[in-house]
Amino acid sequence: MESTSRRGFLKLAGLGAAGAVLSSRPISASTKSLTLLHESSFIKTYDEHFQKVLAPAYEKETGVKVTYELTSVGSLQTRVTTVAETGSGADITSNAFSWPFLFDEKYLDVSDIAEEAGKRQGGWYEAAKEAVFVNGKWKAIPFGNIGQLMNWRTDWFKEVGVAKFPETWEELYEVGKKLKAKDHPFGFELGHGFGDNHGWLYPLLWSYGGAEVAPDGKTVAIDSDETARAVDFARKFFRDTMLEDVLGWTDPSNNKAWYAEQISCTNNAESILWLGKRDFPEIGQVTDQALNPAGPKGRFHLLAPVSHSIFNFTQDPEAARAFLRWLTDEKQLSGWYAVADTYYQPFLHGYDNAPMWQVEPRNIPYRDAMATAHLPGWPAPASRHMAESVAKYVVVDMFAKACSGASTKDVIKNAEGQLKEIYRSA
Amino acid sequence: MSIRSEPLIGVGRPARPVASLRAWLDSESVFSWLMMAPPILFLAGFVGYPLCYGIFLSLQDRPVAQPGVFAGLKNFAIDFNDPVFWRVVANTFVYTGVATMLKMVCGLGLALAMNQQFRMKNFVRAVLLLPFIVPTVLSTVAWMWILDPAFSVLNWFLIALGMPKPGPSWLGNPVLAMASIIFINTWRGLPFYGITLLAGLQTVPPELYEAATIDGASGWQRFRYVTLPLLQPIILIVTLFSVIFTFADFQLVYVLTHGGPQNATQLFATYAFDIGMGAGQLGLGASVALTMLPALALLIVALTIYTRRQ
Amino acid sequence: MVTGYGPVERLLRLWLPLVFFLVLALFPFYWMAITSLKPNAELYNTRMMPLLVSHPTLKHYVDLLTQTSFLTWTWNTMLVAVVSTAISLVFGVMLAYPLARMRFAGASLIAMTVAAIYLVPQPLLFIPLADVINRLGLGNTLTAVILTYPTMLVPFSAWLLLGYFKTVPKELEEAARIDGASRLQTMRRIFLPLCTPGFISAGIFAFTLSQNEFLYALIFLTKSSVRTVPVGVIAELIRGDVFYWGQLMAGALLGSIPVAIIYSFFVEHYVAGLTSGSVKG
Repeated sequence: MESTSRRGFLKLAGLGAAGAVLSSRPISASTKSLTLLHESSFIKTYDEHFQKVLAPAYEKETGVKVTYELTSVGSLQTRVTTVAETGSGADITSNAFSWPFLFDEKYLDVSDIAEEAGKRQGGWYEAAKEAVFVNGKWKAIPFGNIGQLMNWRTDWFKEVGVAKFPETWEELYEVGKKLKAKDHPFGFELGHGFGDNHGWLYPLLWSYGGAEVAPDGKTVAIDSDETARAVDFARKFFRDTMLEDVLGWTDPSNNKAWYAEQISCTNNAESILWLGKRDFPEIGQVTDQALNPAGPKGRFHLLAPVSHSIFNFTQDPEAARAFLRWLTDEKQLSGWYAVADTYYQPFLHGYDNAPMWQVEPRNIPYRDAMATAHLPGWPAPASRHMAESVAKYVVVDMFAKACSGASTKDVIKNAEGQLKEIYRSA
Repeated sequence: MSIRSEPLIGVGRPARPVASLRAWLDSESVFSWLMMAPPILFLAGFVGYPLCYGIFLSLQDRPVAQPGVFAGLKNFAIDFNDPVFWRVVANTFVYTGVATMLKMVCGLGLALAMNQQFRMKNFVRAVLLLPFIVPTVLSTVAWMWILDPAFSVLNWFLIALGMPKPGPSWLGNPVLAMASIIFINTWRGLPFYGITLLAGLQTVPPELYEAATIDGASGWQRFRYVTLPLLQPIILIVTLFSVIFTFADFQLVYVLTHGGPQNATQLFATYAFDIGMGAGQLGLGASVALTMLPALALLIVALTIYTRRQ
Repeated sequence: MVTGYGPVERLLRLWLPLVFFLVLALFPFYWMAITSLKPNAELYNTRMMPLLVSHPTLKHYVDLLTQTSFLTWTWNTMLVAVVSTAISLVFGVMLAYPLARMRFAGASLIAMTVAAIYLVPQPLLFIPLADVINRLGLGNTLTAVILTYPTMLVPFSAWLLLGYFKTVPKELEEAARIDGASRLQTMRRIFLPLCTPGFISAGIFAFTLSQNEFLYALIFLTKSSVRTVPVGVIAELIRGDVFYWGQLMAGALLGSIPVAIIYSFFVEHYVAGLTSGSVKG
């Protein structure tokens, strides 16, 4: 058990100090160890690949042991908060969303590693920089996107005469009405989850031209005709195509509904298809994935990036840098991406035509979505305020309340008030 | 009060240094303070210090991983201007109030039913405690399933009786969602109330009931004038603890709805958590949590008044 | 207690309410049991009557025990619960005995402060406590929760024991004092052995609260090997947005049964302890 970890920690600190004192070169001759924090992956083999392939390979090459610390889904932010606040516990961590902005002061500048990788591996997607580029510096190395796209039942769509996924929200709405009449309603999350609600609501807002805050990052811009149109659409979309229960759904709800064959279309990451193929093959066969529909002002997707950062209080910054550089090398990345069945869509263009995309062609839309993906709060730059808006469910509740019956004017006024307060010090 | 025999001890003994040290250690105040020192120090370190630090945090603008800047009461001003905050206040009071009343009434009913002789009474008593024993998060996961309209037995029956499919949305409709969490909380806490009240019922001397019956009191009057007054202290104490627990409840909402739909089930604890851990605003999160204290402080006053009256 | 009712009355007064409460209390457990035995295909089948299972399987139990660290979590939970309970009982006695038996300056202040501490909510404490725990280097150790759980257990234990102690007659202690025993000896040898029902009462309640705790465990224990059952089950049987429902329900049942068994042995004493403590306290 872990009751000796305090002794272990002191030992590590002692070794680190001794190592730093004794060495005149960046990497000392004595065995070092680094700790990498990660959230337990949806795809188990992804974690196993690191533990069984990557870590031993690095140790063999450099003598540095990398410990892969896994936290449970949903608790990584808490763990990173604790580590950042107390200045100890890990050397390198993965980030979700815009955490590089939240923890900016505790992260090292890794621009050199990022720029080198971009040059050598085809260049970075624009979206990749959104979450990691803080005040002109790369504070994290982007790893991959966990895309949120449309999942749809090809068999039921065919029943109402639709062979290809609709291009626009309005077209999708018409299909939804028909399907609901046939007892195959849609199910888009409108509750307090983390992914499946944001995955369609922010793109919906953007595709009608709405935005929370202007690109200057200060002016609250949610009160606009564009937003009102998006809200009105959402209201009729909910009323005429969906189950009432979606108002209280959290992230697992749509997966459950999918396998229970309750719904014909939803917004989700690759998990529905992945698990469907494994445990519910018949349902898996008629499940397909498509880009979000377009609105009058374009087609958009949610950016849910995973990236890696180095804590600035790490014992040996050079060792940590060397490891991150090694990890970002094509040799390591390509293997790690492939093992995860494209659940993490690579941010480097060099992987756009990698063989892994041919393993399951239905996943290709996830790759294409990255060109139009943005963080919540876009077009304002990422910031703490954006994180507060997401944590307080400002946009989600605005749409949800409208679907529950509140007037468009009221819900927008409400959201505006909240955002003005949140961006008070912007 | 006991007979004060302590002064006699020192009288008959020779005044040796060891004896007087022993006597000093045995004096009421020294003994008491020495005995209480370890737990007091423990509580000071693990509750007192964090509490002061929490208060300090709430007066700071303190984003995560950044140094704090003193901000006075600014966080509280932000909270008071936040419509969600007031929703949280209302939710927590409604949740606590209704659930507590339900637990009290049903607990009493349970206690009265159990206060009779029948076989397997001990077994039944233990079994009835199960909702209280099972870890809350786990039973809540079960309730997620039970309350899903597609899988819910209740909806199944309601539909069979003619209600249109798919039946009520227990977690999607804001009012029903609040009702659902109240119901689950009641289900969970009811056994504690019931078994404790049962213990109280069992100390009511039968002679009092007999005397009342002889005087012509009906069952209801016996209950009202004999049982209830004698149960009052225990009802009060159990209620106090139940209110404290329910007011600070976190697990149930975190797992079931995470505050949704549209903050209809958002409570102080979950909101503070979201702001502190989700938005990284430690000071603001602490301020939300701290606002719980005034309400609970009223309870301290009630408790003090009550115990003084004893 | 009144007896001697005819069978119809007995039905109305006893059996109906009893059955009502039993069904209410146990229905979700029946649901958990059924769900844990259903194969996935049946689990997601909305057309079936939800309360029946046609092809029961033990697969979820097997998967739970072999593919997750459930047994480790159970061991951790029991260990933490026992040690925290022991600590809270010891500290509870150390607070309650002087308050029950001694007169000294500051007694009522201490009593009120301890009660007040009980009212400080966990959500306020967890951020600063995380800081304390990490400064002590106890992050991700069971020691972290073993030290923090008593913060919520000690005040209740102290209060319950205080009420119980007041009901114990003082004659035996006084006799011992006259015979020359020190206060410490009196307390340890004469008084405490008389208080077993009180200890059992406080101990059972503390144990239940401890193995039910979630927030501190969520914050302090992020590695699988040190998790307790509530956090482990929620954290690891939920990957992304996929819930492993069958295993979750199996975990719920397996997590409650040991405690229920313990309860069935002690419920008599639990009630006895509460009786003296609460009613007259």
